[in-house]
Amino acid sequence: MARGNNEILANLEQIVGPEYVSNEEADLQPYTWDMTWAEPRMPDYVVMPKTVTEIQRILRLANHRKIPVVPYCNGTNIGGLCVPEEGGIIMDLKKMDRILKIDPETCYAVIEPGVSHAAFSAALKATNPQWKGEEFSKGFEFGWGVHPPSASVLAMAINHGIGHLNGRLGINSQLMSSMEVVLPTGEVAKIGSCAYSDSWHSFLPLPRMDGLFTGWLGTTGIVTKLGVWIFPIRPYRDVLTIAAASAEDITNYMVRWRHYSLCDEVTAVSWWLAQIPIVFPYSPKPADAPEFFSYTVISGWSEEELAYKRKMWKEVVEKERAKGTKLIDFEYPPEAKKGRTELPSRIVGSTKNYSKSCGGGIAWPGTFAPCKSWPILYEKWKEIYIRHGLSPATRFTDYQGAHYGMLRCMTPFNKRDPASVQAARDAMVECVRAGLPEGMLPYKPPVEYQNELNAVADAGYLYLMAKIKDMLDPNNIMNPGKLGIR
Amino acid sequence: MSHLLKNKNLKELAKIYDWVSMCTHCGNCKYGYEYGAATNFAAMLCVQGDKFNFDSYRGSRGKVSLARSLLHNRIGWSDKVAHVLFTCTSCGACQQMCETDIKPWILRMFETLRYEAWKQNVAIPENIKAWSSTIGTLYNPYKEPHENRLDWLPSDVRASLPKKAEYIYFAGCTASYRRKQLARATVSLLQKLKVDFTVVEDEWCCASPLLRTGQYDLAAKFVEHNKALPEKYGASTFITTCSGCYRTLGRDYTMDAPEGYADKYGKMTGVKVLHTTHLLEEMLKKGEIEFTGSFNKKVTYHDPCHLGRHAEVYETPRNVLKAVPGLELVEMYRNRKFSFCCGAGGGVRGGFADYSLETAGKRVKEAEATGAELVTSACPFCYTNLADAIELNKSPLKMEDVVEIIEPIVRRK
Repeated sequence: MARGNNEILANLEQIVGPEYVSNEEADLQPYTWDMTWAEPRMPDYVVMPKTVTEIQRILRLANHRKIPVVPYCNGTNIGGLCVPEEGGIIMDLKKMDRILKIDPETCYAVIEPGVSHAAFSAALKATNPQWKGEEFSKGFEFGWGVHPPSASVLAMAINHGIGHLNGRLGINSQLMSSMEVVLPTGEVAKIGSCAYSDSWHSFLPLPRMDGLFTGWLGTTGIVTKLGVWIFPIRPYRDVLTIAAASAEDITNYMVRWRHYSLCDEVTAVSWWLAQIPIVFPYSPKPADAPEFFSYTVISGWSEEELAYKRKMWKEVVEKERAKGTKLIDFEYPPEAKKGRTELPSRIVGSTKNYSKSCGGGIAWPGTFAPCKSWPILYEKWKEIYIRHGLSPATRFTDYQGAHYGMLRCMTPFNKRDPASVQAARDAMVECVRAGLPEGMLPYKPPVEYQNELNAVADAGYLYLMAKIKDMLDPNNIMNPGKLGIR
Repeated sequence: MSHLLKNKNLKELAKIYDWVSMCTHCGNCKYGYEYGAATNFAAMLCVQGDKFNFDSYRGSRGKVSLARSLLHNRIGWSDKVAHVLFTCTSCGACQQMCETDIKPWILRMFETLRYEAWKQNVAIPENIKAWSSTIGTLYNPYKEPHENRLDWLPSDVRASLPKKAEYIYFAGCTASYRRKQLARATVSLLQKLKVDFTVVEDEWCCASPLLRTGQYDLAAKFVEHNKALPEKYGASTFITTCSGCYRTLGRDYTMDAPEGYADKYGKMTGVKVLHTTHLLEEMLKKGEIEFTGSFNKKVTYHDPCHLGRHAEVYETPRNVLKAVPGLELVEMYRNRKFSFCCGAGGGVRGGFADYSLETAGKRVKEAEATGAELVTSACPFCYTNLADAIELNKSPLKMEDVVEIIEPIVRRK
């Protein structure tokens, strides 16, 4: 069965060629839903542009005909961001999959939206950091997150995705250096150093216009090229682990440890998230099991550097113990350790931890929150989750320094059971509501979270957001419905 | 709620909805990937997605989504649905990458979807329909007379074979009708190695093409017939040169769902199934084979999907090739569990010849890039497609089956 209308289909075929556009339901159906509870919604067309010019022409057509356009790379954002709320055109960008440049001296790469983490990591590992022909070490890396290998590097970065270097370098959007964007009305703009030369090394010291396209959930334009900083792979890496009896105890340890800025990452997971699969539906943890397990990844250029970091880490643990913090030694499973030391491994991109036998649903209240709110919110979330029959499979991760970090709760649910879907959605929305007064902000937010955010947002902030959106996208064609303001 | 099972008319598909609904839509299946201290692999493995681009075609996610959309009554059957279903080569690359509970059910789900498609008024590829209309009486998908099945076998050899033997050489339809030199080479090899074997005139198609294209009802009598052959000929073991036959006899006849079809057709018990390369490897290990010559060529091995990903036989053919004096084995970038299909499987060679050959052409280019002079495989169906692509693309490569490499230069110790 076909959707949309034949005239628009013919226009799109003219732009990209008939092979790369479809209005057949059989082709549209994978774009109707994602891992989350988002109700499936059918687009009217899917189109696969290969060039910036094709994107410009599609957007001009969409403006002329007032058709929504949803940018799409792999649809794995766990936020329902690519589910087309109002139908329209899915702009599937995976054919734009070129790694345009890897500069091993200035340490940045320029990629298109369809470049997957798999392709990017392979290319970076094969490129050696160098200066004037002298090679310093082997291979580069970027922030590899928790995602399938087919996930888009660009989409993840512009939506504030996280990576394994977030403790040392910050989240992936902080590693962006330049971009090229097609505005909703079809104009092309370069932002950052690439606006002045072919060097894509930095947004600074220019006005940060990249902010108009970062964290906007694809509602303000199509980012067609992205410069990102890349980093030499440090040849020595280790994982240090400790458990704790409570969220308060593990937070105390994490805050003290990250104070020294010596790790690539420090993360803690609750007992329920440490289980493979996550316990679903909820059942209590054994009384003698720690409430939280933490790993921290350290890296360096020599064994001595690693030894120093281990020594400092032990001091942190001892200081906390001396203070009365209940920290418990535990051994990290070898498979998990391998996954953390040989990044980006498939275990990190795995969904097996989340999905066993639970009907294919995964979502989270994924948030950025000040670290002091973690234990407070964990106790609140735990009560909410257990009340809804769900396990509080919670994660804390520090982001570069003593400011804030991730607080989220991986939530499997059974999509075939309406009560299970409802319970998951209700629990997560309630968690977001509980967290907002504590400084917590959801990232890649589903529409339901966005509504919660908007309800308590500063009026001036919402006014400015709406004004920017209107300026950039006067016909509101870009991923409408996602921001909750238009 | 859109994830409820609403379309109960699709009974076979509905039966496995518990598994279908385990897919998280994560997309692991869309790309081949392995990374770590020792490995650095990233490549597109989905033949169908590589050609047709849209997510509907890419990995198992697209087909799972299709199954769910049909079961949820979100979409109806159409020719486009049939195209998505029948352009998959069932190569199993997506299954290889999957990490959720649907993983073992992925290929079974594809076949179940095809089973359901046959009951709808949709465009099943004409050529598949054509061979399906005659296979029930000719017992092969090539529309050849059954009585000609053993024409490949020289009459003096045929006369010399015992009526009963330990092994039945199950030549399969492709070698019997299209790659006769391979069947002859296999018989010659088995004779040289003094294997107690016979060839049977009442061998029927193993039913692989029927099962892979979802023709469950038609497959039943083939399975029943072939299962009875070992007892009739006093044999304990089927030996095959065809990877498709190996997978079907060895898994579909003997294993329960989802790996096989014993749940539908009963289980073949007490019969071993070996691929020719298994026999060769075993005899090499025992020191029972002596090489009388060498094969001084650089060779690359193409993993047949039915032997590789479907049955996880990766090293056996390589071990055999490595034992050949003079042979230099080089690997394509995509190999073993990360191999790239030749494009023939799942009914695609018959249903979509151009696309099938285009895929084989991609594989031939990859083989050329190794610097090999010859590409070898362990399946006459892969042989056919790759050899045709070599010719079509005027590639300098030669194609020979593993058996054809070994047969001229061995004898029993």
